Amino acid sequence: MKTTLAFLLLAAAVTAVHAQTGTPAPLAGPAAVTAASGRCGVCHPAERVQFEKSRHALESVRCISCHGGDDRSLEAGTAHGTGFRGRPARQDIPRLCATCHADETRMRPYNLPVDQYALYQTSGHGQRLARGDRQVAVCSDCHGAHEILASRDPASSVYQLNIPQTCGRCHGDRAVPGTRGHRDVLKQYRSSVHARALIEQGNLRAPTCVSCHGVHGANPPNIGDIDKVCGQCHTAERRYYTAGGHAVTRGGKRPECASCHEAHGVQAAQPERLASSCAGCHKGDTRRLDLGRRLWTDYRTAADEVDKAAAMVAKADAIPIQTEDYHARIEEARTYLREALPAAHSVQPEIVAGFTTRARAVGQEVQKELEGKLANLRQHRYVLIAFWFYVLLTLFVLKRFRDQAARNR
Amino acid sequence: MNGPGRQGPPARGSWVDWLEQRVNLSEIFSFITHFGLVYTPVDTQKPVREVLRDVAAEPVPRYAHGARALGLLAAILFGLQIMTGVLLAYYYRPTPEAAFESTRTIMRDLPGGWFIHQMHAWGSWLLVAVIVLRLLRLFWEGLYRAPREVLWWCAVAMTWVVIQSDFTGRLLTWDSHTYWSTVRGLEVMWAIPIVGPVLAFLLGGRTVNADVLIRFYVLHVMVLPAFYAAFLYLTFATLRRVGLSRTGPAHDERTIHYREHLYSMTMLTVGLFAILVTLATLLPLGFHGVADPYATPGGVRPPWYMLAPYFLLQQLPLPWLSGFVLLVAAVAVLLLPLWLRGDETRERRLRIRLAGIAVLVAWLVLGVLGALLERR
Repeated sequence: MKTTLAFLLLAAAVTAVHAQTGTPAPLAGPAAVTAASGRCGVCHPAERVQFEKSRHALESVRCISCHGGDDRSLEAGTAHGTGFRGRPARQDIPRLCATCHADETRMRPYNLPVDQYALYQTSGHGQRLARGDRQVAVCSDCHGAHEILASRDPASSVYQLNIPQTCGRCHGDRAVPGTRGHRDVLKQYRSSVHARALIEQGNLRAPTCVSCHGVHGANPPNIGDIDKVCGQCHTAERRYYTAGGHAVTRGGKRPECASCHEAHGVQAAQPERLASSCAGCHKGDTRRLDLGRRLWTDYRTAADEVDKAAAMVAKADAIPIQTEDYHARIEEARTYLREALPAAHSVQPEIVAGFTTRARAVGQEVQKELEGKLANLRQHRYVLIAFWFYVLLTLFVLKRFRDQAARNR
Repeated sequence: MNGPGRQGPPARGSWVDWLEQRVNLSEIFSFITHFGLVYTPVDTQKPVREVLRDVAAEPVPRYAHGARALGLLAAILFGLQIMTGVLLAYYYRPTPEAAFESTRTIMRDLPGGWFIHQMHAWGSWLLVAVIVLRLLRLFWEGLYRAPREVLWWCAVAMTWVVIQSDFTGRLLTWDSHTYWSTVRGLEVMWAIPIVGPVLAFLLGGRTVNADVLIRFYVLHVMVLPAFYAAFLYLTFATLRRVGLSRTGPAHDERTIHYREHLYSMTMLTVGLFAILVTLATLLPLGFHGVADPYATPGGVRPPWYMLAPYFLLQQLPLPWLSGFVLLVAAVAVLLLPLWLRGDETRERRLRIRLAGIAVLVAWLVLGVLGALLERR
């Protein structure tokens, strides 16, 4: 009863103070609100600072959630007492994180997936860890330990822009002992059109390591799967590739996207490589080499016609004459050309020719029609000849009148 | 059916007599003497046919040929510019959004629109050339001395007005090249002491935007033509008062009838028109693309008459010096009659001509250097 009365008095006093000042109490920063580090930070200030910046510090995660012990005590014996785990062993980390992150009930409010642990166990990393390899990546290698941030936070090591660097810490550095996979992979990736789109143009939808290899279930794609991986984005190319003669596995080998385009150092489309790439596998096979050259010739001839037509349109614009229709048709021809490149993945000249022939035809039509219009304009000159005839006639007549006036003076 | 006052079968030309019985045609005709277009006072008591015969037989110097025709050409070209300009104004819209589009409509979609546009563009080019040559001719022959000071001042003022008309007209198409040409030209103008800041104030800043476009338009179609017309009137009126100049080595004293003079003028008009039509048809001036205030196309120069101060502006360590040179030049030509009187010796006149040639050559050399200048 006394306690209730005291509480009511206190509440009344607080309300009165607020009513007097009229302003709400200032909001404290996240760290002050949560104090999630408890008293651990007294002895571990560096870890406290890192942890209090993290996403976990905003939630009910505390130091003891991972490390065990008692965060209310300032005495080392008690604090590091009952249930204290200390620094978790590497092989234990995935399971430790999974205690929360595989728990659907806990993750539901954050709309986070709960399959990371299951995926991790299927990944190259997880399988090697299970076999006792302690050097492979565990959760904290990519996400950090105390300073874990949300993946959409630009400062996070797993933010889209930072992923190549994060994976590259092991897979791109010759100095890390026991590194697996391609050692120059980060350098190759940075030279690629994908990396330019991501880093230079800031296109967050450009692929990084995890777009092709998977995130928590990271693995190199299997033979026969590469077209599926690339085909996530390059749908048209995949459609033509699977319909064509290359999509066949023979003797455990298969010509796939990376056979011509490289795996990590993928460059922007270079149609001229149609003429040369075939020699990589079909050296000495004249028939197949000719096929590649023919694809390139068809494409180049059509592209030249379209370029010539576009130059004429630009010339007509400078006069200017009506060209809206021609602009649309040049765009149409360029669309055919753009479609011819994915179609080349079928390695069937008749399919490619379906597009290049149309592009060439449109280009030639535009040229022909514009030539007609420009020739019409040239007829102004003939009108000019007639005009000058009448001018000279007029001048002659005027001169006759003037001479007559001079004689009559 | 005969109207009142008509007796018998109508004789040839009798409609003039019919009209003359009702209105004083000679009085109406005499109106044009106010503009200095005829050389003699008109006797309004005489019938109009007789008046016209008298006027046609009026003796005038054998004049309208060679460099002396330049003033006449300037007047004819002005008339042509007014005619083509009015036609263009029917379709032109002076806003940055519509200027280029409407110009393209004129040049591309309207029947004969390209011709009117090219006539106007080449006409302005010729007009600037003619008016500058006329100024040089007046200087060469010393026609700034008393009693011709007013004519000289009119010539100088008309040169400024024509150059400004050309300059303001360039911007109106809102074409990428002319837009940037105007920006370069304005850089020269900003450098002129007093004039630059005042101009910047009147144009509402030093950025070429919608405000500048509409102000240039108003200047181009109203203010400057009005001033030009006023100076043209003043020139004709003064000319009839002080008489045509009788200069040249031979001091040709022979006279002809005004009728012959009129025929010569008509022939000049026809010839000029034919030349203009030929230029507009064979050498149409370029049309690039809509102006982008954030992208300068390569190789942009100010208009040709601004190349010399542009070179100075770009190359001299002191940017205001080029503006100062321009200001001094402008004031000097206006003040020429003040320190050159009519009584100087042959040697003095020769010295003045040589000084003029030196200034002209320097100006041309600087202009060529300005044209070759690659912008830093």
